[in-house]
Amino acid sequence: MVKISIILKRIFILIIIIILISSFSASYNSLNLDNLAFAVAIGIDKSTSNKLKVTFEFLAPSPSNESGGSTKPVLNTVECSSITNGINIMNAYLGKKVNLSHCKLIIFSEELAKEGISDEVYSLINEVQIRPSANIVVSKCNSKYYIENSVPSLESLIPRYYDIFPNTSEYTGYTCNATIGDFFNALVCNSCSPYAILGGINSSDTDSSQSQTSDDSTIKSNESPITGNRASQNIGLAVFKDDKLAGELNAIETICFLNMRKQVDTFLVSIPNPQDSTSKIDIYLTPNSTHKIDVSFVNGAPYIKINFEFSGKIYSMSKNSQYLDNDILDAISESCNNYLKDQFSNYLYKTSTVLESDINGLGVYSLSKFTTSSEFNDYNWLNNYKNSTFDVNIKTVIDSGFLLTQT
Amino acid sequence: MEKSKKIGTISAIMLTLSIAVSYITSSLPRTFINETKSATILNIVYITFIVLFIILLFCNLFKKFPGLDILDISKYLGGNILKDIVGGFFIIYFTVSSSIMLRNFCDSLVVVYYPLTSYVFVILMFIFSIALVNRLSFNATLNVSSIVFPLVLISAILLFFGNIDNFSFRRIYPILGDGFYNTFILGLKNIGAFGGICYLYFLPPMLKQPEKFKKIAVISVIATGLFILLCVGTLLFMFSFFLTTDEIMPLFSAARYIEFGTFFQRFESVFLLIWIISFCCFLSITCKFSTHIFNKMFNLSDIKPLSIIFIILIFGLSLIPQNYAIANFLETNVYRYLRIAVGFVLGITILIFANFKKRKVGGKN
Repeated sequence: MVKISIILKRIFILIIIIILISSFSASYNSLNLDNLAFAVAIGIDKSTSNKLKVTFEFLAPSPSNESGGSTKPVLNTVECSSITNGINIMNAYLGKKVNLSHCKLIIFSEELAKEGISDEVYSLINEVQIRPSANIVVSKCNSKYYIENSVPSLESLIPRYYDIFPNTSEYTGYTCNATIGDFFNALVCNSCSPYAILGGINSSDTDSSQSQTSDDSTIKSNESPITGNRASQNIGLAVFKDDKLAGELNAIETICFLNMRKQVDTFLVSIPNPQDSTSKIDIYLTPNSTHKIDVSFVNGAPYIKINFEFSGKIYSMSKNSQYLDNDILDAISESCNNYLKDQFSNYLYKTSTVLESDINGLGVYSLSKFTTSSEFNDYNWLNNYKNSTFDVNIKTVIDSGFLLTQT
Repeated sequence: MEKSKKIGTISAIMLTLSIAVSYITSSLPRTFINETKSATILNIVYITFIVLFIILLFCNLFKKFPGLDILDISKYLGGNILKDIVGGFFIIYFTVSSSIMLRNFCDSLVVVYYPLTSYVFVILMFIFSIALVNRLSFNATLNVSSIVFPLVLISAILLFFGNIDNFSFRRIYPILGDGFYNTFILGLKNIGAFGGICYLYFLPPMLKQPEKFKKIAVISVIATGLFILLCVGTLLFMFSFFLTTDEIMPLFSAARYIEFGTFFQRFESVFLLIWIISFCCFLSITCKFSTHIFNKMFNLSDIKPLSIIFIILIFGLSLIPQNYAIANFLETNVYRYLRIAVGFVLGITILIFANFKKRKVGGKN
């Protein structure tokens, strides 16, 4: 009798195991590596028939890859009514399931971004596989062309390049680590606006080493003096008002933006030389932790006071540099203060009056001035941001050069 | 209850916290933020104090009935009929709550990990595991809870500090959220988050040291409050979209953002594993308590087959909602009030009347 009960128990357990294996095998099979095609980037363009053109970048293993060499990118484009349909059609074409869990870059063409990308962003966020840390780029050219030209010259793997390049924002301040998670967060936020990395391709004019910009710090993607193996560039920022592209920021404006959001560790600026009005001095600046932003209201309009402190070292060195002289250092500090104050003021007024987009998230600083959420909603911060007045105060302490202090 | 099967002080605290964890890992933080907006933190602190006050009242009311649980007190107050009614309410609450939460949790798991598996089989996985666990002693579940809760706590702390770069602490403003009435009057319904209290009604006879009941209750409430604060704070400071958008498993969304460099990424899988184990502990505890109440109501000699019946009941109830929308509606709108009605209104009312009776009887004597 005891033996029968043990046998019955074992049969029962066996049946349970079989049921569970068979029920979970479908999910396992769908997530099996053999059945998956991992997209490392997707580009979304507007097609001529008012539809979307979605480009997927996959990595095809090449023989050299086995010994750690490079992988060959494979681009497939599909014309479809929505991203999800595009993925579905691509699944049918590839004979594999497109998986976006390793997608590092989502590129929207400028043309599409100007018309609004909220539907696409909502759909992508709804996709479980998309990581919130995937970077979002608005390309000056069509996104397929951008992906085709994003072949890294110093890394063997494309995903590695996609992973690394946004991090340059921490030490150049010329680009930004804008992610789709942050974009979505700002899209539904009533006190801030979304932004994306500005991407582009070297134009033929710049190929001939002719810069379209007079100042190094005013470069941006498509208008930079860079020539190199890789044609794609990521300099500047794409600014959105709601879900529509409102404008662009150049390199120095992006530095201002990153400072406002405390996302830059160090950056380089070229300021007028107080001793020689025709030349410039390169200063390596580090923001201090005493950044202070205060928002108040004057006659119903936002009055935004910004106090930033930086410490800096002189990078450029020339003959007869006297960087141990306090008077000279003070003069350089003063020049740096004036330069930064101008840049920050110009940048802030550009975001408020020209772009009408609070990408700095200054609305969040105003929240404490309201007692209830409905008061804040009634005020309509995003609409009133254009009436803002900015009071920028910069304090810079310049501390000689690096290895050379006097020549 | 045999001395060896009695529950220690720490195990009892872990038990109540395990219940809170299962609420928090489901949709509770989202409900908090949706309803009280930026005043969520204020609301959590406020309701923690309210619950703390209630729990002190609750402990004082229990003082006159040392070693007795709510069923014994109901029997003292209204005889076996009241005992059976109260027991019935608690059984309904435990089984309905666990089945709705199980359904919601499994629906979320299907979305995240098992796209081609029916939710029925995912629920079955939990059902089999608690059936297996309930064949072991109750102490086995409690010991697992004692191990798992610290892991859950670590995961919550990691969730908070791992995302701290994405925080905007100014999101606690406007300080009153949707206004005073919504924060302090309507916000009172959030006391349902302290559902672990319902289990405290049955603890006194199970404790190794019943004199530490008050300590257990107070520590449980404070720890639950802090835990809710940590988890809800993470979401409030991090996202603006939980105010307007509904997302399944909010803490899972926050876990997806944690990255330490390019090497340590995708922590959410580890988090989900810990939460699944914790959820199993919750189901097992609920099932054990339902069995215990039923046994006490009808004085059964063998309760082992009974636990299987409750497990099947939980399974059946979890299949009733036709879709996630209904399950979510039940969890946020029905189950919460059931929790308040049974845990706070019914229990406290019986304790108050029993104390009146005791005083009256004592006065006559």
